Amino acid sequence: MGKVLLGCVVLMLAGMVPLLAHHSPAAFDRTKEVTLKGTVKEFRWQNPHTWIEVNVPDDKGNVVLWGVELTSPTYLIRAGWKSNSIKPGDKVTVIVNPVRTGEPAGIFQKLILADGRELTERPARLGNANAK
Amino acid sequence: MRSSLSRIALAIVTAAGVSVSACDATAPAAPGSAPATESAAPATQPGVQLSALAPANVAKSRPAAPFDLTGNWFIDTTESADAWRFGPPYPKLTPAAQVHFDASQKAAREGKVYRDDIGQCWPAGLPLIMTRYWPMAMVQIPTAIYMVSGFMNSLRIVYLDGRPHTELDIIVRTFNGESIGHWEGDALVVDTIGFRGDHHWMDQGGASIPAGEQLHIVERIRLINGGKQLEIEYTMTDPEHWEGEWKSMKRFNRVDDEDIQEVSCLPDLNEHLQSTTSKAQVR
Repeated sequence: MGKVLLGCVVLMLAGMVPLLAHHSPAAFDRTKEVTLKGTVKEFRWQNPHTWIEVNVPDDKGNVVLWGVELTSPTYLIRAGWKSNSIKPGDKVTVIVNPVRTGEPAGIFQKLILADGRELTERPARLGNANAK
Repeated sequence: MRSSLSRIALAIVTAAGVSVSACDATAPAAPGSAPATESAAPATQPGVQLSALAPANVAKSRPAAPFDLTGNWFIDTTESADAWRFGPPYPKLTPAAQVHFDASQKAAREGKVYRDDIGQCWPAGLPLIMTRYWPMAMVQIPTAIYMVSGFMNSLRIVYLDGRPHTELDIIVRTFNGESIGHWEGDALVVDTIGFRGDHHWMDQGGASIPAGEQLHIVERIRLINGGKQLEIEYTMTDPEHWEGEWKSMKRFNRVDDEDIQEVSCLPDLNEHLQSTTSKAQVR
């Protein structure tokens, strides 16, 4: 997966990530980023999680299907997403924190569209009552 | 396990409607006046517990509630993103719980997740359902508080109509238990028993402490900061799994710009969230 794993960056974010998933977030390595360049297979806009499946070619000519988990549409909408922000066939770059086992799955950090526009998540409301 | 949002929504809508009726009917009925509705009839039958939504129950004379929790509430994470957890500190565990706690710590050190039943679509249950990263909608009427979590639409009902707990030999055990509340000064004290003792945990990942059938939770709830915040003091016992009282204080912020939505753990959810079927999962 040489081309798949374009970079693993130590972010020192461990312990700062709230529980946004319905499952435990401990499976993800929050200290690493993996950059995926590929083609969207599916984008599902639903609760409790939106997900993206991306076909990513590796340096051996294989195509690896990566699963990317995102937060719920409620919070994606507040970050500028729409249900049609991406669609099957779109060429995208997705940055994720991968699962620790090396399997092709990760939790979403950032998406870069073919035209260069970027989409991120905003956190679910954090902090006190005045936080927006 | 699947949510029944339509029924829950109907309950809330009904509750809200009844609440208005109850407010309109705060004055005692005139002596000799006819029952408000035919549904009052069962009240005359001994041994029958009126529904919390029965108009005859809602309209009963009782002291005014010190505050109204109606609203959407979200765990306050000002001090820590881990505020959803109820520890550390943890109480002294029994051997029956320690084995699971140690296994989850070992799994965490190995980058794995021990028995994440919530991730496998089992209900979070009390107390974790209160602190998920989705708002909790609450609708209060004189006889009950209906709580619906934005997380899997988990339903919790706190009865305020003076009913006792159900006898343990007929209670239907659930993940949120059976909650009975009463008012003490400026606080609502909620007593909850009747929990499921399987696939029910006090934490999710790294500190796996089971919640058993003997789990007993007392919540002392206050509305603070001019109604902007909810404060809940938890006192939890479960002699099968820890010694003494496990105490934790949580604050929740009122959310006025967001409603909960229909959320279900559908069969295809985890099929597309590879982390839930990953080798990182220890069952």
